[in-house]
Amino acid sequence: MSATDDQADVERVLSGDIAAFESLVRRWQGPLVNLAYRFCRDRARAEDMAQEAFLRAYRALGLWRRDATFSTWLFALATNLYRSELARIPPRTVSLEDAPALRDSRTIDGGLEERDRDHVVRQAVLSLPPKYRDAMTLFYFHDMDVAAAARSLGLPEGTIKARLSRGREILRAKLPRRIGTVQPKEA
Amino acid sequence: MMDDDLDRILSGDDSIVPSSGFAGSVMEAVRREAAVPPALPFPWERALPGLVAGIVTLGSLVVASLSASSADLSPVPVPEVLVASAKWAIATGAHWVTLALLVSYLAVKFSLRLAGRP
Repeated sequence: MSATDDQADVERVLSGDIAAFESLVRRWQGPLVNLAYRFCRDRARAEDMAQEAFLRAYRALGLWRRDATFSTWLFALATNLYRSELARIPPRTVSLEDAPALRDSRTIDGGLEERDRDHVVRQAVLSLPPKYRDAMTLFYFHDMDVAAAARSLGLPEGTIKARLSRGREILRAKLPRRIGTVQPKEA
Repeated sequence: MMDDDLDRILSGDDSIVPSSGFAGSVMEAVRREAAVPPALPFPWERALPGLVAGIVTLGSLVVASLSASSADLSPVPVPEVLVASAKWAIATGAHWVTLALLVSYLAVKFSLRLAGRP
């Protein structure tokens, strides 16, 4: 993915060539849909949110200042939209007590299958207060890059670090009571 | 659960692949958007004289009513032009025109905001 390609496509769109926007969509559809999916854990909704993000990007393309890369601008725009959407209609989360994975997927020794445990941890992130949920979602989406998460959220890096720390603290307090170490499967 | 466990679980999150028609669907929406004529700008040129007249009128009315209510204590001389403007506004209903223009303007701004346009 090249920033030069993005810039060239944006210039073409701004000069009236709407078809050039398709290159941008194809280049960024994966990341934008995946980011949305991490926020809502619902594939259909993730695509709807990503489509709306692209549409808003198209409308606001002229407002992109070239001091940041197109992808930074696009992620910030999408993140804002996703957060508003989740505030409007919160994602369907299952409380840890009611999670079917916890009730039904215990192995004989009482532990959880690894896959189920991972699922529960990801659900637990969604149930965090939004400011911690957003910081954690963006941090892991950007391959644990605090600076990138900070840019997407429009916050200082220090704030992101503090929220990550607090978010992890909350998760640690919630999870160990229910999830022990995954037991290795017998050969 | 340790931070390392969290990092491993949350970094190894599953990725999904957008459905095959996703890009087409986005482009369809973009083309629809592009086909919509641009929003009508607020007709400032037509509205401005009315707005100015209305503001002058409302100001005159305020000054006139203030001076009338405090006339017994400290009579404030009201400029003749303001009194005349106030009389003219009341006679012609300009204050209502001003109010209507302001309400229309606010309604347009509010609608554009709801539609997500600047």
